[in-house]
Amino acid sequence: MTTTAGALADQLRHLLGPDRLLEGDLARNLYSHDGSIVGGDCGIVALPETTDEVAACMRMAHEAGVDVVPRGSGTGLTGGAVPLEGGLVISLARMREMGEVDVANSCMWVQPGVLNLDVSMAIAHLGLHYAPDPSSQQACSIGGNVGTNAGGPHCLAYGVTVQHVLGVEMVRPDGEVVILGGVAPDPPGYDLRGVVVGAEGTVGIVTRVLLRLTPLPPDVRTMLLDFLSVSDASAVVQAIIAAGVIPAALEMMDRNMTMAVEEFVHAGLPTDAAALLLVEVDGTAAEVGTATEVVERVARGHGVRTVRVAQDEEERALLWKARKTAFGAVARVKPSYYLHDCVVPRTRLVEVMEAIGEITEREGVMCLNVFHAGDGNLHPIIALDRSDPDETERAMRAGDQIVRACVAMGGTLSGEHGIGVEKRDYMPLVFDHDDLEAQACVRRAFDPDGRMNPDKVLPTGTRCGEVGLADTQVPEGTWI
Amino acid sequence: MSTGWKPGIPAPTRDDLNTCVQCGLCLPSCPTFRITGLETSSPRGRIAAMRAVQAGEASVEGDFTRFTDECLACRACEAACPSSVPYGRLIEAARIQTEAARPAHDRAVRRAGIAGVMGHRRMVRLMGLGMAITQALRVDRLLPKRLRLATPRVTVRGMRTPLPASSGEGPTAMLLTGCVMDIAFRPVHQATIDALVRGGYRAVVPRGGGCCGALAAHAGELTSARDLARKRIAELEQAEVIVVDSAGCSAHMRTYGHLLADDPAWAHRADAVAAKVRDAVEINAPPGRPVEGRVAVHDACHHLHAQGIGPEVRRTLRAAGATCVDLGDGGRCCGAGGIYNVLEPAMAGELGEQKARAIIATGAPVVAVANPGCAIQITNHLRALGSDVEVRHPLEIVD
Repeated sequence: MTTTAGALADQLRHLLGPDRLLEGDLARNLYSHDGSIVGGDCGIVALPETTDEVAACMRMAHEAGVDVVPRGSGTGLTGGAVPLEGGLVISLARMREMGEVDVANSCMWVQPGVLNLDVSMAIAHLGLHYAPDPSSQQACSIGGNVGTNAGGPHCLAYGVTVQHVLGVEMVRPDGEVVILGGVAPDPPGYDLRGVVVGAEGTVGIVTRVLLRLTPLPPDVRTMLLDFLSVSDASAVVQAIIAAGVIPAALEMMDRNMTMAVEEFVHAGLPTDAAALLLVEVDGTAAEVGTATEVVERVARGHGVRTVRVAQDEEERALLWKARKTAFGAVARVKPSYYLHDCVVPRTRLVEVMEAIGEITEREGVMCLNVFHAGDGNLHPIIALDRSDPDETERAMRAGDQIVRACVAMGGTLSGEHGIGVEKRDYMPLVFDHDDLEAQACVRRAFDPDGRMNPDKVLPTGTRCGEVGLADTQVPEGTWI
Repeated sequence: MSTGWKPGIPAPTRDDLNTCVQCGLCLPSCPTFRITGLETSSPRGRIAAMRAVQAGEASVEGDFTRFTDECLACRACEAACPSSVPYGRLIEAARIQTEAARPAHDRAVRRAGIAGVMGHRRMVRLMGLGMAITQALRVDRLLPKRLRLATPRVTVRGMRTPLPASSGEGPTAMLLTGCVMDIAFRPVHQATIDALVRGGYRAVVPRGGGCCGALAAHAGELTSARDLARKRIAELEQAEVIVVDSAGCSAHMRTYGHLLADDPAWAHRADAVAAKVRDAVEINAPPGRPVEGRVAVHDACHHLHAQGIGPEVRRTLRAAGATCVDLGDGGRCCGAGGIYNVLEPAMAGELGEQKARAIIATGAPVVAVANPGCAIQITNHLRALGSDVEVRHPLEIVD
């Protein structure tokens, strides 16, 4: 540890006490990972509990010139919370307080360490919920959701995180605390919330979030449609929306994924189907009735085999559990997975699913698909055993080709997981020099020293005023 | 300090470790993570730490021991895990490693407590007598708080209450008298015997009796755990059913086969005994008396997570007419964790207080608790908050 880093650790220990500053080798090892396969190198870990403490930590890091990596629950899938070269990890996991619900304005301030699902559980008695529902919602934090502009199955109808964040309190890299946005629908001046939401911790640390709360729908119906061909299922997605119904959620799962997840949930999923669609419609009873009819009619026109409608809340919860625990269930197949988060225009779903099938077959890797079909947000999961270097190499190659295929079809890199380090070097596929330089300038306006979550999101070498693109290989050493 | 697992003794296996993809869905189910917010006190973190040792990047001593000591082994994470990581098996194997690595004096104290006292019926009774006397003279107030909060209420009269050697007619059901249950919870044994008689069994209290070895196994003391298992097997294997009114013990006895799998002389006897084990709430006997009003239900981790028992407790109570009230804390561990509350008093204290508050919030006059460790922890934390909510085994409530 250098003298500056040693002095910083002393100051932080004085501020937080020894229990809230982790310095041991093994603890630092555990904080060198998140939910992805990216591995890094963690310096020290601080766990502040208040905005003032975060501000103090940031001031100290600023004075010491040390890099800062913010971390929520560490469930991210792109290495966004993984420190790459030492520095200070600020974990917000102990900032778990929720404020009072402002019923008149349907909003509430929460600290960033509050878990997504805990928000909805705490306000359910008021007939409200927090709409964005990432599959990891039982474990992921609001702070992390803001960082990645997280989505979720129900974002098809309700919109993603940025549509549900009315304001943020943020500590800037030098320790200054600012509040952006608020209850007013249209705050004066530049609307900088849009910069902060999805910035992946590169512009500051969010210490409080003003969440928009949404009424619970009066009626909900959840349907499971099963198909004997992936193409039919993909075609139905577009056809349902073309028929004028925007379901609350419209999810697809292929056979590989269904088999893995059915073993865990025992939801009676048809494991012989090529693809399943999970369709949820909500609204008034009349709206739900009509939408259900349309979905069924369209599905029958496209060769659906069976339509299963959840009969009660218990069955509905079971179907959602099957969908939302899918990533974790991959371990039943292989010990690791490499996951992409590309988005394609909905109209190209049939084509892109065929392309993914061809690519993974060519590379001889197993791919499991479970994704937000309604908004074209794919999640091809390539299962692999990292102790097999050849399989790892083929998995990486397949992932690379999938990304390129999606972009070639007019798609983009990430629907909701963020860019982090894992998709960083693909940025030049969708942005040219000028675009990247402009983004670097925005980042620098907030973080002139480049200490906030460095080497994430923008490719190495992208600096305001001095753009130099790296090649598209993930640097050596980031895969563990 | 050498890195990697200690050779020659069991350790978490690579196959078991490989079932974890680090998704983190387990984090919120973990009571210790809920309190600390630290990766180091989460199931995912502990598994990552095991992987670091496995990879030779860390040693069993020091932080690894600290992180695994903090685990309650409540196994709530297993229910949350989509890839069914066998966490209970991992943490028990990790503890065999940490026990072997513990400094001799530290280990001697634990051994004396777990194997020396709990393993011998006379020592347990002597300890009970000590507790009864200090409590009667009210000098137990001088004990450190951590011990007071982990100690059951014991009276000499309670310890001497006789249990009938044989009652009722029907297939033979033998009762595990146990260690702590035997000195502090004889009324629960009596209620279980009554339920067995009502259920059409001949209830037999075996001579001798003693600890099932669960405490030793959870603490990584494999040798004493196996010795105790052999004693209980020899004592109980004649029964048609083996009835256990402590959730921690029934859960453990169901793993006797696994525990003695490498002992050819005992493996099949262990399997046979494990198959005969019934938790007392699984007897399904008619209630002894009607129960009106609300009963709060605490799910012991060794019921809910280790054995999937939960509906049985409620069914037993409802059959008597009670209205069951869940605690609204998602079944989080109360912090007792065998002797966890003695070894990790700070964490256990926070969890115990949370649990007591959740029970008080139900407004029920009585809470059903089917495990002695939980009952001690919950009673003491309720009293510390000035609450007089009764703590009773479900079979006592309907007796």
